[in-house]
Amino acid sequence: MKKVSQMNIDDCAIVRKITAKEPIRGRLTAMGIVKGAKIKVLKHTLAKQTWDILAGNTKVGLREEEAENIIVESEK
Amino acid sequence: MNAHRESSLSAENDKSPVKNSKIKVVVAGQPNVGKSSLLNAIGDARLHTGNFSGVTVDTKVVDIKKDGYDISLVDLPGIYSLNAYTPEEQVSKNYLIQEEYDIIINIVDANTLSRNLIFTLQLLDMHKKMILVINMIDEIEAKGGSVDKDKLEMLLGIPVVLSSAKEHKGIDEIVDTIIEVYKHPKEKNKIYYSERIELRIEKLISILKKSPHFKDPDFARFVAIRLLDRDENIYKMIHDLPVWIEVHDILEKMYKKLEAEFDEESTTDILSNERAALSHNLQMEALKIPEIQESLSEKIDNILIHPVLGLPIFLFFMWGLFQLTFELGNIPMNWIDWFFSNSANYISEILPKGEFNSLLTEGVIPAIGAVVMFLPNILILFLGINLLEQTGYMARAAYLMDGFLKKFGLQGKAFVPLVSGFGCTVPAYMAARTLKNPKDRIITMLVLGFMSCGARLPIYVLVIAAFFANHNPGNVLFAIYIGGAVLGLIVAKILRVVLFKGEPEPFVMEIPPYRFPSMKSLFMDLWIKTKMFLKKAGTFIAVAAMIVWFLSTYPHHPKTEQIFEKKIELATNKKSKESLKNELNAKLLEDSYLGTIGKTINPIFKPLGFDWRMTVSVIAGLAAKEVVVSTMGTLYAVGGGLENNGLIQKMKENVDFKAAVALIIIIMIYSPCLAAMSTFYAEIPQWAWRIFYTVYPNIVAWIIAYLAYKILSLMGY
Repeated sequence: MKKVSQMNIDDCAIVRKITAKEPIRGRLTAMGIVKGAKIKVLKHTLAKQTWDILAGNTKVGLREEEAENIIVESEK
Repeated sequence: MNAHRESSLSAENDKSPVKNSKIKVVVAGQPNVGKSSLLNAIGDARLHTGNFSGVTVDTKVVDIKKDGYDISLVDLPGIYSLNAYTPEEQVSKNYLIQEEYDIIINIVDANTLSRNLIFTLQLLDMHKKMILVINMIDEIEAKGGSVDKDKLEMLLGIPVVLSSAKEHKGIDEIVDTIIEVYKHPKEKNKIYYSERIELRIEKLISILKKSPHFKDPDFARFVAIRLLDRDENIYKMIHDLPVWIEVHDILEKMYKKLEAEFDEESTTDILSNERAALSHNLQMEALKIPEIQESLSEKIDNILIHPVLGLPIFLFFMWGLFQLTFELGNIPMNWIDWFFSNSANYISEILPKGEFNSLLTEGVIPAIGAVVMFLPNILILFLGINLLEQTGYMARAAYLMDGFLKKFGLQGKAFVPLVSGFGCTVPAYMAARTLKNPKDRIITMLVLGFMSCGARLPIYVLVIAAFFANHNPGNVLFAIYIGGAVLGLIVAKILRVVLFKGEPEPFVMEIPPYRFPSMKSLFMDLWIKTKMFLKKAGTFIAVAAMIVWFLSTYPHHPKTEQIFEKKIELATNKKSKESLKNELNAKLLEDSYLGTIGKTINPIFKPLGFDWRMTVSVIAGLAAKEVVVSTMGTLYAVGGGLENNGLIQKMKENVDFKAAVALIIIIMIYSPCLAAMSTFYAEIPQWAWRIFYTVYPNIVAWIIAYLAYKILSLMGY
């Protein structure tokens, strides 16, 4: 189990827990980042401040703070 | 609720087709599903716009006629979920729940079907007549995939239309389906939650039914589900009803029990998970698509949001947009200026001299001209911004800039309006609409004025020429512009910390795939924005300009005029005639209400070393920054314009260096022109913000100018 913010580019993982509070939580749900969803890290900026995540077929832009609040389990 | 009754009534009457039956359809969907393009594609559409009360959200209504039916389609702002978050989403939600209509059309993107279907499931909870339109089917088919329409219809219990706005597919079918659905009674609900949840829904319905407000079983079910979903709006709705006490008691127990049973933090999560699982299964059943390889979007993204290259590429695009807006835009601007000043001259000659003539040619016409003059800038900038939005690049820009702007309490997307502010503050305020979060938007708009606009340039040039003669003027100018921008960022940070302390600011944003923009909707949107600008800002600006005209023209001083006219007649050469005329204008302006006001409030500017002429010029600059230099020219009685070295000379004689620096700071920071202020008022409806916006920059400007003046005098200047 680790945070999305600890993942590397091109890593895939399954979402296990979302620790973010509302309204961020609701936003993540609307984007398809829910428990059990498969996600992939597409990109992050140089300083890892902003993240580009693929969830289902949707690309989602996140801040580091949000990425820290998504707990995932790696998938090989 | 009436919508229900109405539609079922008309369903009974459908055997004898009524001429000109009206069908009201609401079109709802998540952002980026191609809703506007689809509506624009509906043939012979007559598009008009409305405005939801209190929020600056544009709605479009498309009216069509078919088979004796008048169908109007209300295009709601994009909404991700009924657990609404942005004001736009709230508008859509309120409309869906409170307004009367016959049919919901839910548009979804075939590419992100399962995510979109989560919202569809929420809409189905309302149990109204509904049609599901699966858009962008062409993109799925191009990849060799397909959507099983019949299966979805069977599973969801509502008609499904496969469409593509781009290839004009399924458009007629949508209209036909609307009429079909309208004519027939609605089908039975087919969407159920898991047993443990349904049990609670039933229980809640049985309590709600006791109230006369929930006689409609469909509505009672919807409210019950929303209550389990912890919907604040629904709480508020039934909070004052007698049934609330009983509902409230049982709800609290239900929440606790369900959360324990499902081992979740909130019942909202339980319902979200149920819907997510259900829509995932629906997609598995209905959508066939080959394993996705790296898409073209990803290949483009490898360059455009490259960790190192992304930023310079973005800055280059911005530079290009900026150049286009203000270089290309200035050409028609000059034509418009020429046209209006010539028409004013022409009319002033053909009309008899007098008050009316003066009001028309010195007040009204220049005021209208001032509004229309901004149009080229606005059009080009908005065409650019719309292109950035529609191609999907805007989301990337936000992604790239967010890391930097976040440090100042701003959001990535704020970059576009901020940069536009260097050209003209008016379109920049309108560009702030790309910020969907109201807090981000208000902070951005509050600091936009610190980005020095193009009209302030002549003032800087004048002061630099007069007081910084032995410096490189380019460097001084650059320092002024950068100084403004840095100050803006600092103020943004302060505003965020002071005004919105501790509030979480989510930055969770869909990054849509790259798409070719639809020309039709691009220009439609441009046309709508133009109309909005002319109507809203136009009225504010025209009124304000007339007030300024009045203040600077009245009261009349016929005696002074007579004395000067005689002197001018007696003058022998052209030069002295000219200087007498300048003197007369200076005298008239000095004795006008504007001059009187300037002299009265001069004590406020005294500590900055201003004389009353500078004060009046700065006050006149509130009308338009362009008039600061010309007012100075008039008041120092040398005529307007920079070409006149006389003004530079006069300023050197009358103003000291410290006061000149204070003047630059005031111009840099204080309120922008009337046109910009009017645009701000038009965009932001809350009076508290309007008042704050009108007051605070002037206070900040004065304090900083005063500090600079004091420090310079301590340094011996």
